[in-house]
Amino acid sequence: MRLASGVVWADRIGMAALAIVTGFSILLLVAPSLIVLAVSIEPRGYISFPPSGFSLRWYEAVFANRQLTDSVLVSLRVAFSVMLVCLALGVPAAFASVRGAFAGKGALNAFLLSPQMMPGMVIGIASLFFGAYFAFRASDAMLILSLSVFCLPFVIRIAMARLAGLDPRLDEASANLGAGKLETFARVTVPQLAPALLAAGAFTFIEAFDNVTVALFTSDVRARPLPVELYYLVQFDSSPVIAAISSLEIGLSFLAMLLIARTVGLDRLGR
Amino acid sequence: MSHLVIDNVSKSFGELPVLRGCSLSVEKGSVLTLLGPSGCGKTTLLRTIAGFITPDAGRIVVQGNDISDMPPNRREVGYVFQNYALFPHLTIAANVAYGLKVRRTSRAEVARRVEDALRLVDLSTFADRYPAQLSGGQQQRVAIARSLVLEPSVLLLDEPFNALDARLRLTMQIELRKLIQRVGITSIFVTHDQMEAMTLSDTVAVMHKGVVEQFGSPLDIYDRPRTAYVANFIGRANVIPGEVANGHFDDPARIATQAPAGPAVLVVRPENVTVEPATAGDAAPGWPGTVTFTTALGPTVEYEIDCGWPEPLRAIAPRSPGRPQAGPGDRVVARIADPAAAVVLRRQDGAHVH
Ligand SMILES: Nc1ncnc2c1ncn2[C@@H]1O[C@H](COP(=O)(O)OP(=O)(O)OP(=O)(O)O)[C@@H](O)[C@H]1O
Ligand SMILES: [Mg+2]
Repeated sequence: MRLASGVVWADRIGMAALAIVTGFSILLLVAPSLIVLAVSIEPRGYISFPPSGFSLRWYEAVFANRQLTDSVLVSLRVAFSVMLVCLALGVPAAFASVRGAFAGKGALNAFLLSPQMMPGMVIGIASLFFGAYFAFRASDAMLILSLSVFCLPFVIRIAMARLAGLDPRLDEASANLGAGKLETFARVTVPQLAPALLAAGAFTFIEAFDNVTVALFTSDVRARPLPVELYYLVQFDSSPVIAAISSLEIGLSFLAMLLIARTVGLDRLGR
Repeated sequence: MSHLVIDNVSKSFGELPVLRGCSLSVEKGSVLTLLGPSGCGKTTLLRTIAGFITPDAGRIVVQGNDISDMPPNRREVGYVFQNYALFPHLTIAANVAYGLKVRRTSRAEVARRVEDALRLVDLSTFADRYPAQLSGGQQQRVAIARSLVLEPSVLLLDEPFNALDARLRLTMQIELRKLIQRVGITSIFVTHDQMEAMTLSDTVAVMHKGVVEQFGSPLDIYDRPRTAYVANFIGRANVIPGEVANGHFDDPARIATQAPAGPAVLVVRPENVTVEPATAGDAAPGWPGTVTFTTALGPTVEYEIDCGWPEPLRAIAPRSPGRPQAGPGDRVVARIADPAAAVVLRRQDGAHVH
């Protein structure tokens, strides 16, 4: 009896400890977002917590600020382009890495994934020097290129993981039933790859939308993307407008996640 | 002219020769089984016929046309994969419809033929399910329907019964045999189960290390094995070393043979060996020995007898309750019941002899 109750107590203490650690972790993950949301409704002109009242004036200020709204458009345009470039280059590269059999495959693989090992800043500076050498000006195109280099490994890795999990016999089965290579790709590979492509696309979009370290060096001064714009903004302006714009971003991400959860399911994204 | 001819096909993977000059032929509408131990090249040969592997040498001929260089999607050769390889993202009906859709068959005809095919394998009620929702046996039938619906001229099946339990296996073997007979498709099965080969096929090809060692009807191979290896692979056999001189194998009785003089082996099936207690003054020649092991199996009793050879001699005798049987330690004499059913083979250098 004593032994049994001892075991039960040990279990309870373990469970309690687990609950505390879990609760604390969740708090750490969520609290910053909640504080940002709270600050964004502060009616007064400086950041304070808890908010002294409720007002949407900082949201109005965001939409009234031409520079901010322009930078959002730049970011959206750039993020979307980066996503397309990365998918277009990354999926075939993943195919070659997983299915191909050629000399130097391992080296190529390491090379393709190497940007992941590099700090974004290095990629940014390198792109800047590279651009300067060829007398390219910092521009949307430069930004898209440098961010694509930065994001490509994400796409390749996600696509590779999914491809490696696909049964190559399904391709043979398809060929055996009369389908050519392209038709097999369209009818068998793409449908099974779709969740992974969606995940890779979503990650790339968010990363490109959100990136500062690379974009700081390669973006056009007259068309800064949102994160860079915000970076300059916080240096001169400490009003809750920053919090308002962050809250809008949080809301957007939340919507995107919800959409994915409803359509393909979040648990399928990782695969 | 045979429907499918495999002519001297060879294939190496790097340094490893996997097929070494395989030759076979299958008549239209008949069933051939490829039988052999693991790693002997059965799957490789089947994949070569389907076109997934290009042979280094040799030809594959279907209805007189050399298809060796044809890409797999243009060959009319159905392939049922060892793990079925159903498309997980498609329903059963869509899996079966796949090949028809690829051929741009009209919608109405696709619907009709898919329905027929599913009825043939008794899965009509499962049309809207996904493969993951089916049992192994049902998945296998879907894989078969998916190939049959295209009416291929040859059907290849790689160990189709492996995933099934013993009872379902037997049912499916019989069902599949009937189905193939009804549809009349030239088929090749791969198996390493010799009972399955006997049950299913008109012809058996015994493979060993990348070559077809013997090729014929199941009973023909059982009765007249051409090598000691085949004798041991199809059924059980005693392979007894000896000598051929003057057209006779001399141990224990004089057995006439066409084999040339020299070292030889005698292949005797266990059921062709009789066992009697050793008695003094017995004239008929036999192998004296000591029983080491006895297993009574209802209708028969199996003996293992030590005759002084590296391997014990095996004998199977009918058993009846009244008749006394020899036990371990008994001195007995083993004899060949029907010398005409014993086979004398030349002893090849390095041949596998027990
Ligand atoms: N793609 C390949 N690359 C290299 N070696 C291979 C390849 N495919 C098969 N082999 C080798 O060829 C030999 C024959 O393989 P195969 O799959 O044809 O055997 P099998 O008779 O079907 O055996 P099992 O009964 O175990 O299925 C094996 O030694 C195997 O390792
Ligand atoms: Mg095999």
